[in-house]
Amino acid sequence: MIPLSHFMLISAVLFCIGLYAVLTKRNAIQVLIGIEFMINAAILNFVAFGQFDKIKGGGQMFALFAIVLAAAGVAVALAIILNVYKHFRTIDPAKIDTLKD
Amino acid sequence: MKILNFSADTLCLLTIIAIVFPFLSFLMIILGKQYKKSTISIFNISISFISSLLIFSNLWNGEVVHQQVEWFSVGSYVFSAGFLLNNLSVLMMVLVSGISLLVHVYSTAYMKGDENIHKYWAYLGLFCFSMMALVVADSLLLIYMFWELVGFSSFLLIGFWFTKAAASQAAKKAFIMNRIGDIGFLTGMMIIYAQFGTFDIVKLFGNGGLIDSASIVDGMWISASAEMSVIWLSLAGFAFFMGTMAKSAQFPLHTWLPDAMEGPTSVSSLIHAATMVAAGVFLLGRIYPLFDSLVLNIITVIGIFTAFMGATIALTQNDIKRILAYSTISQLGFMVAAMGIGAYGESIFHLATHAFFKCLLFLAAGAVIHQLHYHKKQHNLEFDHQDIRLMGGLRKQMPIAFITMSIAAAALAGFPFTSGFLSKDAILITSFEWAEGYNGFKKLVPYIFMLTSWITVFYIARLIFRVFFGKPRYEGIKEASSVMNRVLVVLAFCSLFLLFSFNPFSFDGSWILHGFVSSGVKRFSVLHVIIPEIVTITSIVIVFMAYRIYGSGATKTFPENGLIYRFSNRAWYFDTAYRFLFVRPVESISRFSYKFDKLIVDGLVNLLAVGVDILSGISDWFDRNIIDGFVNGISSFARKTGDFTRQFQSGKLQHYLVTMLTVVIAIFILTYFI
Amino acid sequence: MGPEQIVFYFFAALTLISAFLVVYIQNLVRSIFLFFITIFSLAAMFVFALADFIAVTQVVIYVGGVLVLMLFAFMLSNRELLSGLQQVRGGFKLGHLVGLLICTGLFFLLYSAISSVDIVNLPWIKESQPIRQNDNTIHQIGINTMTLYLLPFEVVSVFLMMALIGAAHLARKEKNS
Repeated sequence: MIPLSHFMLISAVLFCIGLYAVLTKRNAIQVLIGIEFMINAAILNFVAFGQFDKIKGGGQMFALFAIVLAAAGVAVALAIILNVYKHFRTIDPAKIDTLKD
Repeated sequence: MKILNFSADTLCLLTIIAIVFPFLSFLMIILGKQYKKSTISIFNISISFISSLLIFSNLWNGEVVHQQVEWFSVGSYVFSAGFLLNNLSVLMMVLVSGISLLVHVYSTAYMKGDENIHKYWAYLGLFCFSMMALVVADSLLLIYMFWELVGFSSFLLIGFWFTKAAASQAAKKAFIMNRIGDIGFLTGMMIIYAQFGTFDIVKLFGNGGLIDSASIVDGMWISASAEMSVIWLSLAGFAFFMGTMAKSAQFPLHTWLPDAMEGPTSVSSLIHAATMVAAGVFLLGRIYPLFDSLVLNIITVIGIFTAFMGATIALTQNDIKRILAYSTISQLGFMVAAMGIGAYGESIFHLATHAFFKCLLFLAAGAVIHQLHYHKKQHNLEFDHQDIRLMGGLRKQMPIAFITMSIAAAALAGFPFTSGFLSKDAILITSFEWAEGYNGFKKLVPYIFMLTSWITVFYIARLIFRVFFGKPRYEGIKEASSVMNRVLVVLAFCSLFLLFSFNPFSFDGSWILHGFVSSGVKRFSVLHVIIPEIVTITSIVIVFMAYRIYGSGATKTFPENGLIYRFSNRAWYFDTAYRFLFVRPVESISRFSYKFDKLIVDGLVNLLAVGVDILSGISDWFDRNIIDGFVNGISSFARKTGDFTRQFQSGKLQHYLVTMLTVVIAIFILTYFI
Repeated sequence: MGPEQIVFYFFAALTLISAFLVVYIQNLVRSIFLFFITIFSLAAMFVFALADFIAVTQVVIYVGGVLVLMLFAFMLSNRELLSGLQQVRGGFKLGHLVGLLICTGLFFLLYSAISSVDIVNLPWIKESQPIRQNDNTIHQIGINTMTLYLLPFEVVSVFLMMALIGAAHLARKEKNS
């Protein structure tokens, strides 16, 4: 058996990488990819802990739901990015600052 | 004889009228528009003359009228003003107003066409007013006031044609020299006031007055109220004499009078021949009791010296008016010296006769000048119309001027049948009688008088022969206007003996002398006959000599170079000496002061300005940088804080995330590890 | 260390390296393809966690759905969007540093949390029944879906429908464009 802590570590690294992508990327799609990384790290974590739940299988179930929701989220996010581009003519999140003070 | 019998009050009113009317003509003309006609002035001066005549007829040898009112007071000192009408005053009143009237009439013709004539009438009115007031004033303070005013009017009138540089310079010179004399007058006044506590002439100089009752004990001059060293008595006398020296053009303050000839001739005749310059002698008459023997000697010496000097200078002058000016100086010297030797009455007598014949000499010269000037303008010629070397033969062209001027010249020379004969011989004989009692220098005085009289004869003969005799130089010179001629004739009559004495040869019958304190020397002596004879014969000889040199024949000519000639021609180099001694130093002091002022005083002021400028620069810097900087600093701090915090609301998604995560992670880290 | 450990570590390294490269590489297309590799290696790791159905679902949905969607959306967009997307600039910026700091901070936090736990001796792990390798998870998942997790299931399907309609509406073409 792979120790749980390995899974958790990998998931932590993946999450941090995804967070880095969200925080620093100048392209909305890359931000989206970063969000996907974070969600995937969470799914990995779910699954890792789900090893220990045979009766209810909660870990795996929620991993399933999470995958589905992530996909839906990506679809909607892409539609939003399209609209943002139509409006602002750019998809650089650093350039979209009309809500600033 | 009294024309009408007036009461004392009426007499006071008449006096006031006599004084005030000429002043009205000054006011009327200054305040109103430019009134060029002479009517008002002549009317005013006639009123003045008539009033003076009335007063004279009432008061000559009559009782003395003295009225005064309280004028002002300073603390416990009270000063009063009023007038004193004694023989001297009323004689002077008639003299001044009479001659002023004649000169007014003459001026209507002489000054005709001058564009500033309205000012001329005004200044003449001012002068007449001040002179009339001067002769009746009863307080030394009032005399001083009008003394100054007379000097001021003289300044205005000398500089009447002020656009000519020489005229305004002459006016300044006259005024400044008179000022020097006035310092003396003021000093005398101060000494008198310190010693006696009053300025009143009657109290001071009257019979048994304060000066008479003051005594000299052990070298101290003691009066009723104070005492001081006896030197102050002499100083007071000399100080007053300084005023006379300036006003009556005695040595050394005489150089203004020849230059004053820049004014119109009518002015010269009135002011600088007959009346104003006589004011000095008048003052001596008023304060006569003050003089002690030292001052009287000084007066005599200066008077006789001036008489001699004036006569010698007049010998070589070529400007007709300058000859007459130096002649005036010389005759004034006669009068002053006569005062000095105690011939009080004779001096005043000569003052009266001199007023008429000198005025006539000037007015006749004025007629000649006027006609020559007119001739010059008409024919567009260029020559000095006052130079006697360029005149000649005018006796045929201007007969009336010739006759009247010759009568006046005879009076000046002292020929019989003229008034001048009477007065001059009075002085001469009295001087001989006075000198009998003394030895040494004083013996010389009468002989210098005689010598001066002979020189007088010579120069005036020279003038007459040069101007009127010989071949006529210019064609077409006409007689002067009838107005001028009538005035000349009136004055000529007054220069004859008739006005002054019924006896043409003896001055004892003169009514003027009877009005004044006699000199107290023997009257009937052999001198009374010898001296007039000697003088007259020598005068005739001199006239003949002059005729030979200057008249038609012109056989002999005087050398016109040579030391003595030049010395006389340049007026004994007095002007040069004064310029070197006084004018140059004052000018260099003035230049130095100017430079000092510019450099140091202005420099200091500029430095101050620079200092203030620097100070203001510092405070500006301070204000702008530190005070404003402080305020601005606060506001910029607020702005920077705002700007800083505003950055957190950048509208950028990722920034918000960063902020959030920073805080959350920081909280977790802090919570778990601290 | 047995063979399965090595394979696990290999897949783990693959995941992490490709994830890192996704973030590091500027080019968008290449990063999407690397994302693709990340998904696959992640699915492999699911298998090691004895969640085989999840792994396959991951591949199907993510690769076949999400990645394809992104690729299509990216490729089939008009030229302006493409040229706009290519505007990526390199260089080391303050933002990158801050992001790096935060990520390392977070990682540090997580790592310390993970390493402070003694997994094996946790009470609930001792009492738990772990999944065996031979278990039929699919069977279990099916039953659980319809009984225990029915509500979330229904909600998710409604949610999917909403997402569908929403995305379709958002991405519509305007009449007057």
